[in-house]
Amino acid sequence: MKLLKKFFESQRRHFVEGGKFARLYPFFESIESIFYAPEHVTRHSPNVRDSLDVKRYMTLVIIALLPHYAFGLYNVGYQSHLASGLPVTLLAVVLTGLKVVAPLVVVTYAVGFFWETLFAVIRKHEISEGLFVTCALFPLTIPPTLPLWQVALGISFGIVIGKEIFGGTGRNFLNPALTGRAFLYFAYPAQNSGDAVWTVLRGTQATTVDAFTGATPLSVAAVVEKSGDVQTALTHAGYTISKLFFGNYPGSIGGTSTLLSLVGAVFLIILGIASYRIILGCVLGLLASGFFLNLVANQSPMPFLSLNPFYHLLIGGAMFGFAYMATDPVSAAHMPGAKWVFGFAIGALTVLIRVFNPAFPEGVGLVIIFMNLFAPLLDHIEIKYRLRKRISNV
Amino acid sequence: MISIHTKKGYSLKIEGKPSRGLEKLATPTHLALLPEHLPFVTPRLKVKVNDRVKVGSPLIEDKRLTDIKFLSPGGGQVVAINFGPRRVIKEIVIRLDKEEEAIQFEAFSDQEIETIGRSELIGAIIKGGLWSLIRALPFRDYPLPDSRPPAIFLGLGNIEPFQTDPQVYLNGNIRLLEYGLQILRKLAGDRLYIGTHKDDTFVIKSLDGRITHTYWGNYPAHDPGVWVYRTKVSSAENRSWYLNGQDLLLLAHLLKTGTYPTERTVVLAGSSAEKRTHFKTRLGVPLAHVTDGRVDPQDNRDIRYCIGGVHTGYANPKESYLGFFETSVILLPEGNEKGEFLGFIRPGYRKPSYSRAFFSHVNRSDMEMNCNKHGGDRACIACYHCAQVCPVDIIVHFTFKAILAGEVEESVEHGLLDCVECGLCSYVCPSKLELFATLKKAKAEFYKEQTR
Repeated sequence: MKLLKKFFESQRRHFVEGGKFARLYPFFESIESIFYAPEHVTRHSPNVRDSLDVKRYMTLVIIALLPHYAFGLYNVGYQSHLASGLPVTLLAVVLTGLKVVAPLVVVTYAVGFFWETLFAVIRKHEISEGLFVTCALFPLTIPPTLPLWQVALGISFGIVIGKEIFGGTGRNFLNPALTGRAFLYFAYPAQNSGDAVWTVLRGTQATTVDAFTGATPLSVAAVVEKSGDVQTALTHAGYTISKLFFGNYPGSIGGTSTLLSLVGAVFLIILGIASYRIILGCVLGLLASGFFLNLVANQSPMPFLSLNPFYHLLIGGAMFGFAYMATDPVSAAHMPGAKWVFGFAIGALTVLIRVFNPAFPEGVGLVIIFMNLFAPLLDHIEIKYRLRKRISNV
Repeated sequence: MISIHTKKGYSLKIEGKPSRGLEKLATPTHLALLPEHLPFVTPRLKVKVNDRVKVGSPLIEDKRLTDIKFLSPGGGQVVAINFGPRRVIKEIVIRLDKEEEAIQFEAFSDQEIETIGRSELIGAIIKGGLWSLIRALPFRDYPLPDSRPPAIFLGLGNIEPFQTDPQVYLNGNIRLLEYGLQILRKLAGDRLYIGTHKDDTFVIKSLDGRITHTYWGNYPAHDPGVWVYRTKVSSAENRSWYLNGQDLLLLAHLLKTGTYPTERTVVLAGSSAEKRTHFKTRLGVPLAHVTDGRVDPQDNRDIRYCIGGVHTGYANPKESYLGFFETSVILLPEGNEKGEFLGFIRPGYRKPSYSRAFFSHVNRSDMEMNCNKHGGDRACIACYHCAQVCPVDIIVHFTFKAILAGEVEESVEHGLLDCVECGLCSYVCPSKLELFATLKKAKAEFYKEQTR
C-alpha cells in the first residue's frame, strides 16, 4: 500500500501545473482518488463535513448491480448453451457468459471513460462518478448479441448527448444509460429488438435447436389471441412464475431478474441512496394500471389486458428499470411529492405501452426517459405549492 | 410555555465534549480586538500604534453608524494593528499595564433601572460599547437603536457542539441575570421571550416561571431564528431581536457597575484538546493563553483552531486572539492528509455521516471528526439531503441554483431570509458544495442592497 501511495506521489508532478500532462489532471485525480481520498480541507464554515461523498454514493449503486452481473454471466451462457444444444454445466456456462459479456463491459467503460475524461479536461473539472454508474447500467440493458461497435456508439450517444452537452453529471435531464439504449433501439432495430437478438449462438449452430424458443415473455404475451389465455400461454412457453421471478430466460444481459432487482432496491433504500418514493410509486402505478386494464378487459378484443398485474412486475425489465433507472437522482423528480407522481406515472405508462403499443414489447426504458422530461414540471408544481405556504420574510 | 421540537436539523456525533468545570485563568499580557470578525461592521480606527488606552476606550467605530463603537477590553498600550489582505483590520493588539485604568460609565442601581426611560437606556448601552451584543433577525446585524423590535428572544444554552453551558456561566450570576432581564424588558416591552433547553433544569429552576420557550431536538433547535420560524404568524416577527445569556450578563455588568465588562467564560473542547473544560478569562484573550499546555501532546497532526463553533465558527491561527462574540475554542485535527486505502468502499463504522450509507449509522458513540472535506468537488446530484436537514424548510439546492443564476427574487421567495445560518446544508452535501457560504453571502448582499 505504501508503494502505491509513493507511486502516486511520484507521478503527481507530471499532472500538476507545469507538468508534461498538466491537462490530463482529471484523469490522474480520478484514478488516485479511487485509492486514496483527497487531502482537501474545508475553507468555509462549517469546519467539518460529512463522510459521504459522491464516490461512495455512486459506488453503492455499482455494488447493488454486481449480483446482476453475476447472474447475467450465468444466464447469457446458460441460454446460449441451451439454444446451441451444448451441455449446461455451470463452469462452461459461466465461461461462455464471460466471453460474451466481458467485451461489452470493457468497451462500454473504455469509451465512456474516454468521453468523460475528454470533457473533464476541456472543462477543467474532476471526473464525476456518475459515469461509472452509467457504464455499469448500460451493458445490463442491451442484448448480448450486440456488435461491439454499436455498444461503443450507444454509450457515446448516452454520455455525450444524454449528459455532457448539458454540462455533465448533475446537469443532465435524461438518464444517460437509457438515452444510449434508446438511441440504439431506434437507430438499429434489427440488432436491438425482436426475439433473435437475446440469445448468443455458439459453435456451428446457425439456428437454435428445435426444443429452444427464443421468444421473450413479453413477445409471448403480446401475440396471444384469445382473451384470458395470457397466463396459460406464458406457462405453455415455459414461463412459470418462478422462472419469471428469477429471470433465467432470454433477455437483456442482467436486467431480467426481478428477484435481484428487488434485492437491489431494498439494499439501496436501506442505505438511503435510492428513493423509496420513486420505487414504490412505480410499483403502485404498474399494479394500479394493470388492475384497471383487467377491469375493462372484457369489453376489449385485446387479451393482453387481462394479464394479472403482478405478472407485469415479473416479466421483462420493469423492476430493473424501477430500481436503478427511475431512481437516478439527477434526472428523476427532486421533490418528495413529485417523486411519488413521477414513479406512479412510470409504472402506469409502462403497462400501457406494453399492452397497447405493438411496436414496443417493453416500455419501461422509454417511459423513464419520457417521465424524465416531465420531472422538472412536477418539481415546479410542488415547489410553487410549498412556497405558497411560507410566511414571507421581506 | 411554548415547546419547540426540532425534528429536522442534525446533531453531530462528535467526540471531545467539555466538562462543566470552571477554571480561572491568570491575566494574559496582551489582549486584542478583531474587527475582521465583527459581522457587517465597516471599521474606522480610533487609535494608532503606541496610543495609551484604558478599559473602555474606543478602538474602532462603525462607519455606517458612528455612534456604534467597539471598546478596548484592557488598559495599556496599543502595540500593533495588524492588517490582512485588502487592508482588512485583523487585530488591534493591546499590551496590558500592571494596573489597568478603566473609563467610568454611568451606573444604574436596581431601582434606577426600573425607572429609566427606554431611549436613555439605549444611549447608555451604546455609550458602553455593547449595543452590538443585541442582534436583529433575519440578517443578524445589530439593530438600529431607534427601531422597536416585535419581540426580543433571550437564548439560554446552545446545542451546537461545544458551546458554553449556561449552568457554568450563570452559576452565581443569577442576580446579575435578573438585572439584565430588567434591561430587556425595557427594550422589548411585554414581548420578551426566554428560551432554554427543556432538560436544563438548572436554568428552568433559577428563572422560575419566566421561561417562555423550551426547545429540544436536533441542532440548531436552540437558535431564536428557528423559534421565530416555527412560531411566527406574521412576517413582522421576522425582525425580532435576540441575544444570548452570556452577552446579557456583559450588558448587565456594564450598567450595574458602570465599568466595561472584561470577563468572559470560554470553553475549550474538541478531540485534540486534552483538558476540555470552561475557563474564566478576559475578553479578547490570546488563543495560546487558553490552549497552551492543554493540547493533546500525543497528537502530532496539524490542529485547527475553530473559533466560535464547529458549524458556524471560523478557523484562526493559534497566534491570534478570541473575538468579541466568540466564546469557544475547539481544537480539531486538520485532516490535511490523504484518506485511507480504498476508503470510499469501507464499512465505515467510525465515519460519522448524516446518511445511512455507512455502518456508523448504527454506531451511537461519539466519533472523532476532522476538517477534511472527505471528497472531491462535484456538481449537485440532487440527493435532497440539504433540504431534508434544513431546520427552516428551505429547499436548499434549488435556492442555491437560484442564487447562482442571479435570481435574487426567486431565492428570497424560497425563504433565503429565513436561513438561520446553521451550516448543516454544507455539512451534509456529498458533492461538497459550499451551499451555506453561498446562501449566507447572498443574504448579506441582499441586506447591503436594502440598506444602501
